Amino acid sequence: MHDKTVRRRRALLVLLVVLSLLLLTAYFGEAPGGRLHSVQRAFLTVVSPIQDGANKALKPVRDLFGGVSDTFHAKSQRNELRKQVAKLRRELVGDQSEKRSYRELLAMFHLDNQLSIADYHPVTATVFGKSPNLWYSTVTIDKGETSGVRINDPVINGEGLVGKVTLAAPDAATVSLITDSTVGVSARLGTTSATGIVQPKLGDPNDLLLQYLAPSTQPNKGEYVVTSGTVTSHGDSLYPPGILIGQVTSVNEESAYKSVNVHPIANLHNLDVVQVLTSALGSRPSKLSRLAATLPPGQSPSAAASGEALASTGAVP
Amino acid sequence: MSAPSGALVGRIAALSVVVVFFQIGVVSEIPVFGVNVDLTPLLAVFVGLICGSTLGAVTGFAVGLLVDLALVQTLGVSSLIFTLIGYWAGRLRELRDPQAALTPLLVGASAAAVSLVGYAVIEFLLGVDAPVSLDLVRQIVVGVVVDSVAALPMWALVRRILEPAMPDDPRRRRRRRAYTTGGLSPLSRP
Repeated sequence: MHDKTVRRRRALLVLLVVLSLLLLTAYFGEAPGGRLHSVQRAFLTVVSPIQDGANKALKPVRDLFGGVSDTFHAKSQRNELRKQVAKLRRELVGDQSEKRSYRELLAMFHLDNQLSIADYHPVTATVFGKSPNLWYSTVTIDKGETSGVRINDPVINGEGLVGKVTLAAPDAATVSLITDSTVGVSARLGTTSATGIVQPKLGDPNDLLLQYLAPSTQPNKGEYVVTSGTVTSHGDSLYPPGILIGQVTSVNEESAYKSVNVHPIANLHNLDVVQVLTSALGSRPSKLSRLAATLPPGQSPSAAASGEALASTGAVP
Repeated sequence: MSAPSGALVGRIAALSVVVVFFQIGVVSEIPVFGVNVDLTPLLAVFVGLICGSTLGAVTGFAVGLLVDLALVQTLGVSSLIFTLIGYWAGRLRELRDPQAALTPLLVGASAAAVSLVGYAVIEFLLGVDAPVSLDLVRQIVVGVVVDSVAALPMWALVRRILEPAMPDDPRRRRRRRAYTTGGLSPLSRP
């Protein structure tokens, strides 16, 4: 009797371990549209209303703990922000006159067809779930395919870039944050034309790495890093150009390429409301995304499109 | 090994669902020293510690699967880790049945450590594209400490919910009687 119990117990353990390994292997090997991904998508469809409801009901609890945590940091943040406001005010005065000249030049050379965020049909969504794991920086939002959200759509909030959609169900979607190991964003340093790829540094959620900058680049501490409007690989998300990602904290010069550490601007620990840039089918952003899929990595579809437009009008030889 | 009662299985299932949704909706959004408390491995380990290896392993597998499905993570990773954690805690109960007050704390800390290191090992085996910071080690250590602090209230909750549905264990009954009567039955006292 005892032997039988032991055998049964061990058989169950082996069965569960083998089942887990089979799931892991099958999931890892299949395409994003595969059967197990579809099961996950169906599960998200079923549980998203429950999760959304639970999230709303438990919001006071979250706010209470969040409020206590915020109070500890409030004083130091206030002093830091006062310094920043004074610095930015000085910069603003100089930038306003430069902006006017810039607009005049854009109009003069027919380059004033840049897209704004509004052209991307932003859909506002509420975050109702977050992964607790060090290895997965994902959140779940309450808008999905019925609101026009699709896989690879960029996600922003009032502060800057948040991430991209990696799974879309009818009424919910999963967003991989810019601190997730699977996300890479083509970016440039704010004051220069130097571009690179922003990747997370696993183990440090408050630090990103802008890599593959040309050796001649002279990055400065405090400089802003924004999206470049190009793609990092085929089929990747096309983030609109100029979205704020973070601020340079230090420069690394140990390899052939320069890299800089970047502190994300968006507070990714405390996301409540985000915007998904959906770019409806047939719109200009959507066409640019399709164009981006055909271009080699690092090339700007906006530039290509502008180039085509200029060539067709005879503005360039 | 007697089959678990329906009431016990029902309580475990309900507790698992509530804990997973509470984790995703609330606990994950409150960082403590830069990390998140993870209640899910604690749930698997405490079910194993109270109900034994079989239920511990099955609960670990189910909770892991639920977490991976709800958070759109690689399926099977959490199931594998939590199955092993639940089984180990169950065997600990079946072989040693530790009764010290610090047992939940130590078992919870061990579960958190196995979970965090297990994830790291599996993710490295699957291949990580992003650069890895040495701070990962610090994050794992802080994660273990934070989860250990959460282990005591979690243990109290799991025990309070599951123990009323547990079949009476003769070993525990004997130990309880020995503790309350000084080791002797009142009838056998001189």
